[in-house]
Amino acid sequence: MTLPLRVEDLSISAPGGRVLLTAGRFSVAPGEAIGLRGPSGAGKSTFLYALAGLQPRMTGKVQWGETDLGRLNDGPRARFRREHIGLIFQDFLLFEELTALGNATLATAFTPPARRRSIRETAGQFLSRLNVPSDGRTVDSFSGGERQRTAIARALAHQPSIILADEPTASLDRATADLLITDLIGLARAEKKTLITVSHDRHLLDCMDRVIDIADGRLMTEAAPV
Amino acid sequence: MLLPALAAGIAVLWGFRPQALVGALLWRYRWTSLTFVLLIAVSVGIGVGLIAQERGLRKGTARAAEKFDLIVAAPGSEITMLFAAVYLQPSDVPLLSGAVYDEIASNEQVDLAAPIAFGDSYRDSPVIGTTAQFIGHLAGDLAEGRMFAGTLEAVAGSRVDLALGTSITPAHGVGDSAEEDAHAGHEITIVGKMPPTGSPWDRAILVPVESVWEVHGLAKGHAPEQKDQIGPPFDPDYFPGTPAILVRAEELWANYALRSEFTRSDTMAFFPGAVLAQLHALMGDIRQVMSVMAVLTQVLVAAGVLTGLIILSRLFARRLALLRALGAPRRFVFAVVWAYAATLIVTGSLAGLAVGWVAVRVISSVVTARTDILVTATLSWPEFHLIAAFVSLTVLLALLPAFMTMSRHIITDLRA
Repeated sequence: MTLPLRVEDLSISAPGGRVLLTAGRFSVAPGEAIGLRGPSGAGKSTFLYALAGLQPRMTGKVQWGETDLGRLNDGPRARFRREHIGLIFQDFLLFEELTALGNATLATAFTPPARRRSIRETAGQFLSRLNVPSDGRTVDSFSGGERQRTAIARALAHQPSIILADEPTASLDRATADLLITDLIGLARAEKKTLITVSHDRHLLDCMDRVIDIADGRLMTEAAPV
Repeated sequence: MLLPALAAGIAVLWGFRPQALVGALLWRYRWTSLTFVLLIAVSVGIGVGLIAQERGLRKGTARAAEKFDLIVAAPGSEITMLFAAVYLQPSDVPLLSGAVYDEIASNEQVDLAAPIAFGDSYRDSPVIGTTAQFIGHLAGDLAEGRMFAGTLEAVAGSRVDLALGTSITPAHGVGDSAEEDAHAGHEITIVGKMPPTGSPWDRAILVPVESVWEVHGLAKGHAPEQKDQIGPPFDPDYFPGTPAILVRAEELWANYALRSEFTRSDTMAFFPGAVLAQLHALMGDIRQVMSVMAVLTQVLVAAGVLTGLIILSRLFARRLALLRALGAPRRFVFAVVWAYAATLIVTGSLAGLAVGWVAVRVISSVVTARTDILVTATLSWPEFHLIAAFVSLTVLLALLPAFMTMSRHIITDLRA
């Protein structure tokens, strides 16, 4: 299932009430690849986390298909994430003591038994497609590229329709980053996933359908030239 | 007793499989986890060890006294006499006269009236004057050699490190104040060995009571024309005195009758078992205090560990935030932290069982070596109940740090 995104009058504030980010109208079609760029502290990650339903103090609308995350409580938001969203982080956030498969199948620990087998099979397939070592080593012995590819497999293992990536190439060297971009974009397009990524990486942004600027806590909803 | 823990476990973990993540956390923080496990193990081990040891000591002291049906002595402290006559702890006590002994021995209800004369020693073994009948009553058939047949012969307890045929000269008194040369020239030969009795008598050297009287220059309990006689009957006119008399009647009621009869102004009669029961009752109170203190110590340690867990959970807050970002329900994060704590508690408690078992064996052997009372303490249901109660209580307490992790801010922790 692919879901369009519609953001309307979004406002995210800090605990003290200070506004961190505002966004007017913004929409993403299913399967589209969107880059978010802007200076550090502009609110890119804040926006990305809002799209994932992780921001606690937000008003306005973040609607994926028929689901408005702003109206949901914590439990339904978590359920939405585990069913529809795959998250990729800048510094991988893996369990170093687990194998690649153990990390990629992390969701089996908390998903209903009926979905566990499917997650395991999908994770295995993605790890294989991404050439992640499957020799039983724990990921603490992996290179940065191998770790990030493991993280991508984890993000895709439960077959989400949306991939949200926060600076996925920032911790990688150029050559590894280029390989990862190829893998990430290739998989997203092949699987018809909606991809929204925060990045400073021009190479990655060049591959996006659209790039949106965020500056001074404001989403510039007009598409900017890459 | 474990039901609350099991119920909590089922309720918390239902529908989840956090084993791999808990294993990862245990491995990542292995030294901290190990420290927590050791703390719990030591506190549990001390608790169960103390309780098991106290029970073992109680049983050991009771077993050591079970052959001493009724003791008659000069009026004084029953406890002092109990320790002197049964556990062979040195004590100066007045003597019973020959007339009293004769009155007891000639009582038709009495099957055995054995003088127990203590006060001399050889190295760390008390030298006790008594009769062959008493030795038979105490230990049954000899393990080696034969019964003494004269005043210069002795039967040694099983733990006396003297071979048959060895000659000794008893010292007057016991311990540092013993006069080594007081009985010089009075050489006694070991002719027999008793089997183990599990009592301080295993360390004793038993001689005919006539031998004790002889080395002290007293009459030998018999008329001069029967000077070579060993054992009863004794002649009251030549009976120098004895600190205590073991009295035994076949019938239980007769023992009670004898106790009544010889509880009077010039004699004191008591059942060592009854005096011991009073001491055990006192120990029972102490045991309750010890049990409460053991539980309190364990709970304090557990509280310390759980407080440590609250602090530790901040270290793995980023991983927990990741789980929630990936869509894990709050309850799953709760389950991971609780399962981690429960694993530490259960592992620590099982290790504590092992620590307690080792402690009990070590302390038992030390107590046995020091008191000669065979203490065979083992872990039993009370200890298992204690551990089960501890586990149940602490895994329920572990819900608290688990609960506290639920309210953490996901993004703050992800960015930490």
